Amino acid sequence: MAQNITPKLSTLQIEKFDYRAVYAKYGRARYISHLDFMRSMQRIIKRSRLPVWHTQGFNPHVYIMFPLALPLGTDSRVEIMDFALTEKLSNEQVREQLGEKCPEGIEIISVSQPVHKHTEIKYAEYDIKFKPSIPAQECLDKWNGFMSLEKIEIEKRTKKKTVNLVDIKPHITVISAQTQGEQVALQMRLPAGNDFNLNTNVVLDAFFERYGIEFETICTLRTKIALENGESFT
Amino acid sequence: MQSMKERIERLLLKVQKPARYIGGEVGSVVKDKSKVDVRFAFCFPDTYDVGMSHLGMKILYGLKNQRENWWCERCFMPEVDFAALLRENDIPLYALESLDPLSEFDFVGFTLQYELSYNNVLEMLDLAGIPVLAKQRGDDMPIVVGGGPCVCNPEPMTDFFDLFIIGEGEEVNIELLELYENMKRQGCTKLEFLKQAVKISGVYVPQFYDVTYNDDGTVSTITPNIEQAPAKVTKRVIADFDNVYYPDAFVVPFTQIVHDRAVVEVLRGCIRGCRFCQAGFIYRPFREKNIDTIKNETKCLCEQTGYEEVSLSSLSTSDHTRINDLLSSLVDYTDGEKINLALPSLRVDTFSDELLEKIASVRKSGLTFAPEAGTQRLRDVINKNLTEEEILRTCRTAFEGGYATVKLYFMLGLPDETLDDVAGIAQLAQKVVDLYFEVPKEKRGKGLQVSISTATFVPKPFTPFEFEPQDTPEQILEKQAHLLRNVTSKKIKVSTHMQKNSILEAVLARGDRRLGKVIYTAWKKGCYLDGWDEHFKFDKWMQAFDECGIDTKFYANRRRSYDEVAPWSHLDYLVSHEFFVRENKKAHAAQTTRNCKQGCSGCGIKKEYGGVYCGAKHNAQAVDSAN
Repeated sequence: MAQNITPKLSTLQIEKFDYRAVYAKYGRARYISHLDFMRSMQRIIKRSRLPVWHTQGFNPHVYIMFPLALPLGTDSRVEIMDFALTEKLSNEQVREQLGEKCPEGIEIISVSQPVHKHTEIKYAEYDIKFKPSIPAQECLDKWNGFMSLEKIEIEKRTKKKTVNLVDIKPHITVISAQTQGEQVALQMRLPAGNDFNLNTNVVLDAFFERYGIEFETICTLRTKIALENGESFT
Repeated sequence: MQSMKERIERLLLKVQKPARYIGGEVGSVVKDKSKVDVRFAFCFPDTYDVGMSHLGMKILYGLKNQRENWWCERCFMPEVDFAALLRENDIPLYALESLDPLSEFDFVGFTLQYELSYNNVLEMLDLAGIPVLAKQRGDDMPIVVGGGPCVCNPEPMTDFFDLFIIGEGEEVNIELLELYENMKRQGCTKLEFLKQAVKISGVYVPQFYDVTYNDDGTVSTITPNIEQAPAKVTKRVIADFDNVYYPDAFVVPFTQIVHDRAVVEVLRGCIRGCRFCQAGFIYRPFREKNIDTIKNETKCLCEQTGYEEVSLSSLSTSDHTRINDLLSSLVDYTDGEKINLALPSLRVDTFSDELLEKIASVRKSGLTFAPEAGTQRLRDVINKNLTEEEILRTCRTAFEGGYATVKLYFMLGLPDETLDDVAGIAQLAQKVVDLYFEVPKEKRGKGLQVSISTATFVPKPFTPFEFEPQDTPEQILEKQAHLLRNVTSKKIKVSTHMQKNSILEAVLARGDRRLGKVIYTAWKKGCYLDGWDEHFKFDKWMQAFDECGIDTKFYANRRRSYDEVAPWSHLDYLVSHEFFVRENKKAHAAQTTRNCKQGCSGCGIKKEYGGVYCGAKHNAQAVDSAN
């Protein structure tokens, strides 16, 4: 038994056509963690019955890549997933076939061929809305004060389990900040990608903690994944 | 006023794995409730990760939802973090499809899979704002029903349930809901409904039975107190198993669950008759599905779910009469689709090279055997017809094929077990180690590890060991120590089961109605999620027993005579009492009993229940040649 081990895919699939999907994740799907989401996407692809390209190892599985994780609780309409097919199909057909198999809260916006490399991702932009425990205008004033601080230091745990102080101020670019009724609405750009990632929660927690503000449900929407020069990643 | 969804969503980002609490999965069934006549909340009394793996729920969920005007939804036990937030925010426990509170349903159904999940039933009802005691629930409250293997002795849980379903659910659930739909239209009361429901075979309504006790504490009589209730409730069996309903869709969870794969049931019942095994008796007779049926169901589910793995479910897959044809046929499909075929429950004695080659999973995960006992004599006592030679032969082939990990499962505290039998466990493991070193270096894999895992034996109702006392904690500790003393090789790792769980299991498994008080008291003290080591509060349980004046030894450690009235004696699982007595006597004489395939041993199951080997005169050879 088990002596004549050969990979299950004895015929190598040499033809490989790369595709990049832009998808949305919102509503009920907001609560799926990144790791779980990757598994869900793999099943969507399997259900779509597209001629998907499998990895060529001993345990062939659907080849699928996510250049950037979306934090649990954040909505987005600009998320990226790369995968490959063994046949050349039209982008529209691929989008349609995948889209049909998506559960509530997951949508395939478009399918195209990859242009940029994953390592070119440098920033992401976010819309954030929340209702603070204090009047919105007062909260906005505090936010503006927060942003005019010279340094915003947060504690970051290292692998050696010691705590480092990191200044996140230089990494935050506020695009706009205003009130909308009882809510505060912020737009900001934060570093993203392989080198350095800054989560919106980290920024907001630092803010809320410093001013002792509480809030009801934060809505966070990622609006753009961008390159160094500010252009959209495609 | 915020909707339930908004109220729930406000809490989700504060808890672990929130995707478990909001539904919306592929395959979940959402209906317009204004067009629905009967609503059923199928509750699994454990967390989502465990409950979503349960096949019975998938079957009954699909079955009921086939009817346009019935709606079956799912509900699970929330983890403590989410349960606390629900209570803090006054959100009643809700079903995952509609997000409606359980109290709005016609039926709230629980499956009782293991004793340590009992208290979750109370906690879930309470979280939902439903009184836990059946007698405190009025006509405005749902009918609370129970099913699953543990209801073969539901007596400890009778205070909390209105009705139990005994045996297989595919037909009786339909009959019960049809009756309810009609009676609901006529505006009947719950009591009127229950009085009609007892006429359905397999339905047990505990309030219609009175139990009296003898001076020594044993049960004296169990008698119906209304004329409609039968003296004995007989379990339901699907005789035409090949044509039974099987779901064409599963709910595919977003979060990883325990068994995260498509599952196809290939056979029900078991031919083996291992004397400790409750499943081996309560699911009799042995019935199987045709290869085409299994193949179609596999294909259908793989396509609908998108899973990359499918597993065959049964008590012993290799006992399928056409196992070789079945596997070659399935492998053709799964390999083509790059789906992994998982085969749990393959028995070592049918572990043929030919079979293995077909399923040659290249992942060398290791081998697992369950010899259950350390010596041949004790294996004969428990009728585990597996010899040392068979184990060693398979290990040799495996080592030669490059495997280096072997897991061996045993039980401690089996009837008639001596310290020599315990030492035999260590000796068997040592023989496996020696065998490994006999295999030439270039052939065998690196880094041998032999793991011994010992559980504590829990005597169960409807087995030949239902009369046996469980070993006392002191006896088990002595045996565990003796085992450790006898293990000398560093290649052997020993792990033992938490003894305290087993005591409680033994008490609840063979308990009577008087235990309802203990369960209630323990729950009030905060005992639930008992199956999770981090939540199990043994001392609180023991306080509850003390306060209720109930001695665990009476239930767990007492030898019961053959003529004692068992608390479950009004339930009929078709295997006869005489058979269990006969098997018990043979056990003490260390005599084995042949399996159903080799010849009938007269367990009492009649031919009309559809068993493959029932009623027909046959011998082993005739069956073998038919393969």
